[in-house]
Amino acid sequence: MDPDTAIGGGRDRFPSTEHSLLEAAAGGLAPEALERVAALYWKPVYRFIRLKFHKDNEDAKDLTQGFFSSALERDFFARFDPSKASFRTYLRMAVERFAWNAHAAGKCRKRGGDVAFEPVGEDAALTESPEEAFDREWRRQLFRLALRDLRKLCESAGREVEWRVLEAYDLAEDARPSYAAVGEQLGIPETSVTNYLARARRTLRKLVQDRMRGVTSGERELREEMRRVWK
Amino acid sequence: MNKIVVGLVAGVVLGALDGATAWFYPETRPLIGGIVAGSTFKGMLVGLASGWFARKVDSIKWGVVAGAALGLLLAFGVAVMDAASGQQHYLEIMLPGFVTGAIIGFSTQRMGTRKAA
Amino acid sequence: MEVNSDPADLSDSVVDHLRQVAGLPDLSGTRYELEGEIGRGGMGVVYQARDRQLERRVALKVVEAALAGEAALIARLEHPAIVPIYEAGTLPDGRAFYAMKRVTGVRLDRYAGAGRPVAERLRVIRRVGEALAFAHSRGAIHRDLKPQNVMVGEFGEVYVMDWGVEAVGGTPGFRAPEARLDQRSDIYALGALLQFVLPAPAPAALSAIARKAMSAEAGCRYGDVEEMLADIGRFEDGLAVTAWREPPMHRVARFWSRNALLLWLLTAYAAVKLGIFFWPYR
Repeated sequence: MDPDTAIGGGRDRFPSTEHSLLEAAAGGLAPEALERVAALYWKPVYRFIRLKFHKDNEDAKDLTQGFFSSALERDFFARFDPSKASFRTYLRMAVERFAWNAHAAGKCRKRGGDVAFEPVGEDAALTESPEEAFDREWRRQLFRLALRDLRKLCESAGREVEWRVLEAYDLAEDARPSYAAVGEQLGIPETSVTNYLARARRTLRKLVQDRMRGVTSGERELREEMRRVWK
Repeated sequence: MNKIVVGLVAGVVLGALDGATAWFYPETRPLIGGIVAGSTFKGMLVGLASGWFARKVDSIKWGVVAGAALGLLLAFGVAVMDAASGQQHYLEIMLPGFVTGAIIGFSTQRMGTRKAA
Repeated sequence: MEVNSDPADLSDSVVDHLRQVAGLPDLSGTRYELEGEIGRGGMGVVYQARDRQLERRVALKVVEAALAGEAALIARLEHPAIVPIYEAGTLPDGRAFYAMKRVTGVRLDRYAGAGRPVAERLRVIRRVGEALAFAHSRGAIHRDLKPQNVMVGEFGEVYVMDWGVEAVGGTPGFRAPEARLDQRSDIYALGALLQFVLPAPAPAALSAIARKAMSAEAGCRYGDVEEMLADIGRFEDGLAVTAWREPPMHRVARFWSRNALLLWLLTAYAAVKLGIFFWPYR
């Protein structure tokens, strides 16, 4: 979808973790926590900046990169108060502040003129606010990471069939095939298809939750966030 | 206070008061003692019966109907006895008895506790 | 069949599909078969499921494992106005599930429409209050009482649904202002519920009861649900309510309407006696 934003989105050095965000940040693992946050939020932040501030691809990328690389200098984690908002909302608001400042500075430099407003792009639905786009991108990235985790897990545990069933059925882009068709394609009985599928989905669910656990303040926030993930 | 006691008290008080109104009529004033005693006794009977009824039936409407009917019936009896002594006072005895019975019936429905089932 | 080899390219429709299916409870190993979603509340999602053994529909509530303990407390509440739980269990993914009676009926926000007599509206509030009082006596609180969580069944039975196990923010208009919800917060919500079901213009005494229950200061509300129900009962009996200092004219009017029959009977008695007194043929 966004081949131009492979930075950040490509990294998955920290798959799932049992530590919550704050535990990691407080335990002297702030850089590691930031890695996790960036893996999930790089793309949402990029999209948010593009839509909210009408930035072109390069500017948005620079701003996103700037935001994440300066996060640790700004006591980013220390200032997060879970009783006020979810980490996701806190981060989005921090991005907004950061981008406003940068935006204002940029305008001053370019005074006299050629402020180029980039057309936002064909996939940005006009009915959607930048905040909604941020959330949508967040969910997409969350599933992307969890699916990557799932595939790796299936490969390393000798459960490839599970992955292939999920891939053939749940990840089908157009018309979803029948269970029978999936079974035929993979050479397994139809009844097994549903069993594999159920197991794969169950694992996926857990992996999504694990990914979120690493970027939330604790069980309570995690639960609230998961409610926004499942439909 | 249970409903039978309520009926008893209401019947005695209202019966006595009803009897006491005889004082206002010149021709019955000399007989007031007997009239009050009889009326109180009649009221007591209506009250006891209405109280018993109110324990069985929880309805203001039917309580009033039962009280009025009892009052009318007993007043009719009194009027018959009265007629035997040569005077015809059916209207004067039965109409107030009817309304007093209705009031007693109402009281037993509105006040007092029903016996625990 | 072309499928994505790299999950990096996820379209909106695929993400939406995954959000749906990965959230669905895996009921393999249970006697239930998933049929659809009924709704989601503060505590979890409620699905419609079929009990294969007993051949009947049930409502299946799925909650996070961390909430299972407190949910069990609510499952133990046996009251005619609290939906009975048939069975509890654990899903393969660790979540807890509760199979319960599937209530069919009308939600209170639709039930309290025009033409519904005040007495019937109050009956529903009373049932809700009784359920709350019972739960409070067992140490449980509702936390998110609102018209959408009250059902009136086809036989007139009232069910209070979706008992919360953690503060989920409540619902604006029904949630008490205090940060920590307790039994008094349920009283606030019951007051809001009462106000909600009252027709406009509402009897002043009932509005006063709702207002008192909804005092911003928890200490100014009713001490417990029974106290509030007693006040509603006084209104129903034509007596003065504690929540309202009524004007003298109102007191007279209330006395008259409560004792109208008695007053008519006394008038009739006086008329009879006077009539007899002035009867010319006596």
